[in-house]
Amino acid sequence: MMGNNDRQAYDRNSNIFSPDGRLYQVEYAREAVKQGSASVGIRTPDGVVLAAARRVRSPLLEERSVEKLHKVDEFHGVASAGHVADARQLVDVSRRAAQVERLRYGEFITTEQLTTEISEHIQEYTQSGGTRPYGAALLIAGFAEGDPRLFETDPSGTAIEWQATAIGGGSDQIREELEEQYDPQMGVEDAVALARDVLTDEDDEEGAEPTIAVITADGYESRDVAE
Amino acid sequence: MDTVLETGTTTVALTATDGVVLAADRRASLGGQFVASKHAIKVEPVHDRAAVTISGSVGGGQEFVQRLRAEADLYETRRGHEMSVDALVKTAANTVRGMPATPLLGGVEADGTPRVFFLDGGGGVLEDDYTASGSGMSLAIGTLERLYDPEMGVEAAVDVASAAIDAASERDTASGNGITVTRITADGVQQDTYDDTTEVLA
Repeated sequence: MMGNNDRQAYDRNSNIFSPDGRLYQVEYAREAVKQGSASVGIRTPDGVVLAAARRVRSPLLEERSVEKLHKVDEFHGVASAGHVADARQLVDVSRRAAQVERLRYGEFITTEQLTTEISEHIQEYTQSGGTRPYGAALLIAGFAEGDPRLFETDPSGTAIEWQATAIGGGSDQIREELEEQYDPQMGVEDAVALARDVLTDEDDEEGAEPTIAVITADGYESRDVAE
Repeated sequence: MDTVLETGTTTVALTATDGVVLAADRRASLGGQFVASKHAIKVEPVHDRAAVTISGSVGGGQEFVQRLRAEADLYETRRGHEMSVDALVKTAANTVRGMPATPLLGGVEADGTPRVFFLDGGGGVLEDDYTASGSGMSLAIGTLERLYDPEMGVEAAVDVASAAIDAASERDTASGNGITVTRITADGVQQDTYDDTTEVLA
């Protein structure tokens, strides 16, 4: 069994493996993601729905200042979970990647390529000296070349494609609910209702309305009435 | 005498109903005064369904072709699908910026749409139905202006392109020594070289 002291030796830098092949800092970063409130993504044939729970700590808080959903370009958006400031940095990386694609090739970026660019950036921070991994996970949703796509990236820089999933606090339980209720042929509005349903299912009665965005052939559309 | 190899050159590119035709003469010269090569290849495939012609300095043109091929291959390997013609021409324009070369680019989209572009060392891109570059371009353009027909197929376009290279080879001292003809269709790139333009026209 590994003693506490041994473990600490491999704990200091994100870019040092433990003897059993683990990167503790990356694992801790994954834990940081679970500290935040959940975000959900649901793919339908006509578009992708992103939704995020908002924790309202005080009635004096302006809800609109809690940003969990971000437009990346006309046909892409991301939902974040974990450290908000870290996530914002990744949002900027995403927006730049989308514009660089247009400058370089004169075309809109595809969701898959956007995910690759973001994941490569996240991965660099698990291998470079003097850095810490991003304490945020993203759901990357897009509608490019006629295809709705939904990807997840985590602090290790691993990207996975989903039909529907959740990140952040309580995401395991939300994903189980999605597994039961998801229908690949469902309409966009049904997916919005499902997202709202699984996010407000939590015991937290004081939780605010989830913030919602949909991305279809018509582009990115925020569904927040408050704004 | 100038010590930098120049293609001198006449190159043309034109769209046809079922593809694209690129053609160029085969002379490389020093300062337009001395024929340094009678076998220069100035049409280079850069993609499964696209090719460029080079004019200007030989070194600049070859460097441009190699970089563009590398960019196109890298794109395809990384993404699992080939570049669209739009992405290719944008990459070509970014690559050629600052180089002493004025290439023409011709390509056929995955859906069969033929496209032809004139590029310059400033990164400029002009799309057209037919275009020409090099020291003999004004002679070639005159022929294209007279013979180009938007309704013609690739084989008719080969005759028009060859007539344009032939006209320029007659009067431009930096152009001549035969012709390279490149046909691009949805099936791919086919390139042929001849020691005399009359071999194609016959």
